[in-house]
Order: sequence, then structure tokens, then C-alpha cells
Amino acid sequence: MDLKIGLDIGSTAIKVVFTDGDNILWRGQSATRPGQESVSRALMGNGLAELGLAGEAIVNVSVTGYGKKLFGRPGAVADEISANAAGLFRLSGGKAGMIVNIGGQDMKVIFLDARGRLSDFRMNDKCAAGTGRFFELAARILDTSLEDFGELSRRAGKTLELNSTCAVFAESEIVSLLASGTPREEIIKALHASIARRASALIGKEMNHPIWLDGGPAQNPGLVEALEDELLTEVLVLEHPQYTVAYGAILVAR
Amino acid sequence: MITTQDRRFRLLQRAAQKCAAESGNLLDTLRGREDYQPEFEYFLDLIKEPTAAATERRSGRTAIRLLCIQAPLELIHAAGFQPFRVFSGSHAASALATQGIPALVCPLLRAVLGEMALDKANLSGHPWILPTTCDWVVKLPEMSALTGLPSLPEFHWMELPRLKNDGNSRKRWMDEIWRLKDFLEKTSRHAVTRTALLASIEAYGRAADAFQKLKTSRASGRLSPVWFLLVGNAFFLDAVENWTEQVNRLEKALFAPRVGQNRHARIFLAGSPLVFPNFKLPFLFEEAGLWVVADDLCSSERLFPGKTFIADTSVFGMLSTLAGRYHQGCLCPIFADNDRRINNILGRRPEADFRGVVFEVLKGCHPYDLESFTLEKGLKAQDLKFIRLETDYSPEDTRNLLTRLEAYRATLEEA
Repeated sequence: MDLKIGLDIGSTAIKVVFTDGDNILWRGQSATRPGQESVSRALMGNGLAELGLAGEAIVNVSVTGYGKKLFGRPGAVADEISANAAGLFRLSGGKAGMIVNIGGQDMKVIFLDARGRLSDFRMNDKCAAGTGRFFELAARILDTSLEDFGELSRRAGKTLELNSTCAVFAESEIVSLLASGTPREEIIKALHASIARRASALIGKEMNHPIWLDGGPAQNPGLVEALEDELLTEVLVLEHPQYTVAYGAILVAR
Repeated sequence: MITTQDRRFRLLQRAAQKCAAESGNLLDTLRGREDYQPEFEYFLDLIKEPTAAATERRSGRTAIRLLCIQAPLELIHAAGFQPFRVFSGSHAASALATQGIPALVCPLLRAVLGEMALDKANLSGHPWILPTTCDWVVKLPEMSALTGLPSLPEFHWMELPRLKNDGNSRKRWMDEIWRLKDFLEKTSRHAVTRTALLASIEAYGRAADAFQKLKTSRASGRLSPVWFLLVGNAFFLDAVENWTEQVNRLEKALFAPRVGQNRHARIFLAGSPLVFPNFKLPFLFEEAGLWVVADDLCSSERLFPGKTFIADTSVFGMLSTLAGRYHQGCLCPIFADNDRRINNILGRRPEADFRGVVFEVLKGCHPYDLESFTLEKGLKAQDLKFIRLETDYSPEDTRNLLTRLEAYRATLEEA
């Protein structure tokens, strides 16, 4: 067995992928909290236990993400944008030309060349607008689980527009809308549209087709629809988009 | 009872402590580096005390405060003064100047205002020369008053024409140079002689030669970009002759290139000035495996845009040459016709052999921000990888910047 582990220590979640050659054996994630290395090791321990494997079977651990320096003695370290590009290109069967990744604290637009190599990228600066953190904030105010966002936005009657893309101002705007009796379905749909506009601004004029949405928020079909409406093109999503970067770390380290 | 004055005094005391800690920590980090050499100690000592008073003591001359480098240093020197650049990269100082001015003032000018509040550099009470470069500089005296600082002492405006390739502009700038000469003579109470001006041009020429050797050492891997920046930052803190001597001494003593350095990707650094102790980006470049082999920062390579060659040694002839060099030779983005900037980057490419350009914009520095878009288009068309980083003096975007720089390095490998 050629057991390799990809570990993505992100700002909101730690994701782990186990592979044997081209096969993905196991995936697992845990919320990020202080002591990232021990959380990561516990997560890897869960994976080994579920697969019935011993620690000695591990050939290599590749680490990426904001917290990669917090993991002592990794087998390899990868930058998360290259890992995202490599992971998605492989998992999409070599079809990806552009990725929009929404992470916990950032939004990235990644351009790949025809051979799947990272050719260019754009990333937001320290502003939290349009990131996973923005979604979490909205979910808390709306007292709604993030998993329900997609379904709820589909049920929206009217199409609202949030005036603010700033996380702080949007928060007070959502509170005002709720206070004025606006259904939360409409607010959620407006949130998706707001993030899609943000992504569109980051993309600019350049588009490499097809476009893939990646990262945890990509599991939200409401966001996918909003992005398609904004970019006027089909947006594709992998089955487990939150694990692409962890998987890609293994590929980049090869 | 605690008065407002007491509270302000305590606020300034805390800010002064933070500034000292910020600077002290960075000096400790530099001294603890693997590539530290004793020859760096002179420059570290200068940076440790970056005040006008200390500079006057070291150089034996009265300091004339400058913000930008459009005023010919040779002329100031020939008038018997020490040119002292009022610059600051202190986050603690910039945090001090927040009230009464727009939120988006560039951090450099904000830090200057903070330093003025601390009076660390003994900034008030001595002559200033203010070329009308960017909007923030033009509004400095006004912002100084708005933030409750004493108004600037005697200062001399130099109206900088925003067109370089225009005969009328050149004539107007030449008039400004003569006005500056008059101001300096009036302030010093003696005339700028032909001999003194020639001697000053030669002294700055020797400094440019010494710095040129360091540029070569940085490009070849003998001197790290972090140290190079420090040496440039120290330029205004001592007499030009002393600084030149120490740069030559350092250059001779530099170790051979380290093996690991060739693993770094070679880049050109363009954009807003980087000033001590704001060394956030240079350290992140190292961490991401990037080596700055050339730059066009006015706090680094652009201190010496080139040696001044004098054909006509009359005062008029020398001032004409200096005027041209400081105006037409300037790459600052405040100019409307600034093709020289992109041409300079592309022209440096064969010799410096870089694969990409990092363009850093200080938040609020609008001319650089605007020009970054033009440069991106032009440089990408020449197959150079380009990244624009917008940041300020705070450390909170460090992880975000590192993520981008690491990925940028990966794109250089793919190129």
C-alpha cells in the first residue's frame, strides 16, 4: 500500500484525505480550534482506525492551508493555491480551466493552463466579504443552518438586492431586513447574489471554461445558481469540494 | 484629577514605547540572522536612532527635512546642509495619527504625522522642503494642523510639473531649482559656490558607485534583499561620505553566495516605498522563496537613479543637469507621462534575469495603485508574471500575503 495523507489546515476547518495511488480511501474534517496539530493528528488517527491501518503504513503527510506551519515535521508542504489547482484538475478528469474557491477567510480565482498547471490567480485581501466567514455570520443572524441555505434560497419569492458587500455592513442590513419582516428565504437568495457579484468582480474580464466552484461553500446549490446567473455560464462542483485542496497537497508534493 | 493633557501625555508615552519595541524587535531579528555580518552594525546603529538630531550630530551639519527625493540632494549638500528624509514605516506611529484626517491616508504619511506627534525626529522647528508630488504630501501641512500638531515650521514648496516630456515643464522645474538654491542660500546665509556644488556632485557620485556594487551583490546572491533595503534606508542618516565608506567596506567583506540562495525565484520589486521598520514584505518574500534582484522603490534603488555626468561645470550647467536628472529621470507614478517606469523594468530584465514582477501598493497610495493596472497589462504582454499586493503597516494580513506569494512563486516555476 502507498498510503499518502493530504492535510489542509484551514482557518475554519481542518480537512484530511487518505490516498493509495489514485484511489481516495478516506476523507474527514474537523472544525479548526487551538492546537491545530493535535486536532489534525486526532483526525488522522480516526482515519487510520476506520481503515484498520497502523501509523507505520503512512508513506507521507503533505500539509497545506493557513495553518501549515503549525504542523511539526510534515513530509511535504504545499501552497494551497497550487494544491487546489492540481487537485481539481485531477478530480475533474483534466477538464478544469478556472476555479472559484471560497475559503473560510478568503476568496480565490485560480486560472489553469491546458495541462492543469497554475497559470495565474487572484485573491481578496484581508476583507471578509464574500468568504465562508461571511456565510457563517449570516447563518448566525438568520438562525439558520448553512446546510439549509440552498433549499431556502430556491423558495424565495422576490429577488432582493443587498446593498452592502462588506461583512460588517451586511450584518446590520440583514438585521434591518429581518426587523422589517422580509422572509429569510429572500435574504439568503440576496446573500448568494451578493457573493456571486463579489466573485465576478474578482474574476474580471478573463474566464477560462469550464468554471468550477470549490471549497466548503460550493456544497450550497443556491450559491452555484447565483454564480451561474452572474457569470452567465455553467458552474460545476465536485462531489466533495471541501477536500480538493487536501487531495491536491498530495499531488503537488509528488 | 486626570486632565486631557495627562491622557494625551500617557497616549504618547505608550506609542513611544510601542515604536521602540517595534524597531528594537526588528533590529534583534536582523542581528540574529544567519547572514549577519559585523559590517552591518554601522547601518543598524544608524537605523536605531533615525532622528534628525542624531543625524546632525553624526554628520556635523544642520538637517534639512525632505519628504520626497525630487529636491536635488547635491544642491542641499552644497549649501552646507544634511538632507534628512522624513520617512517612517512604523505601525505604532501610524496608529497614532487617526483623528481628524481621512481614514484612507497612506500609512507612510500617517506614520510621519505620528512621528511628528512624538517629536521623535525633532521634526518641528527646522526647515522642510516639500516638492508637490502626491496629494497626501501636498496636504501634509494641513493634515498636521488637523491632527492637532503644531504647524510645520518654515517650509519651502517646490512645485513639481506633472509632465516630464514637455519643454515648458522643464523650464518651470528649472525655475524651481533656482528658487530652491535661493532658499538654501538665504537659510544658510552663504552662497552655493561652483566648487562646493561640484564637490557635492562628486560625493553623491561616489555614493551611487558604492550602491551600484551592492546592487550587483544582491543580484548575485551575496547580499540578501533585506539587508540591501536596510542599507538604502540608512542613507539619509549620516554624512554621505561616511555612508559611502561603510557601503564600500561592507561590499568588500560580503561572504560568497550561499548554496541555498539559488533555490529562490528571481523577481523585480516595484511600487510604493518600503521603510524601516515595515519589513513585513521583504521577510515574506524570503519565506515564500522569492529573491528581489532589482527594484524601483524610492526607498531603495531609486535613491540613486544613476550617476550625474557633468559636461558644463558652471553653476548653471550643473543645476541644469541636476534638474533634468531629478525630473525627467524620476519614475514616480505621479507623472502623467511615465513610460520610463515600464521601460526601466523591461530594460533591466536581461541583466537582472528576473521571471516576474511583484508590485506592492501601500493602501491609500492612489498613483501607485492606478499605475499597477497599466504595468500589469504591459508586463504580462511581455511574458512576465505579475502580482499586485495591496497592504499597509499592520501585521494582520501576513498569512493572506504569504499564501499569495507562495502561489505566485509556483507560477514562476511553471513559467
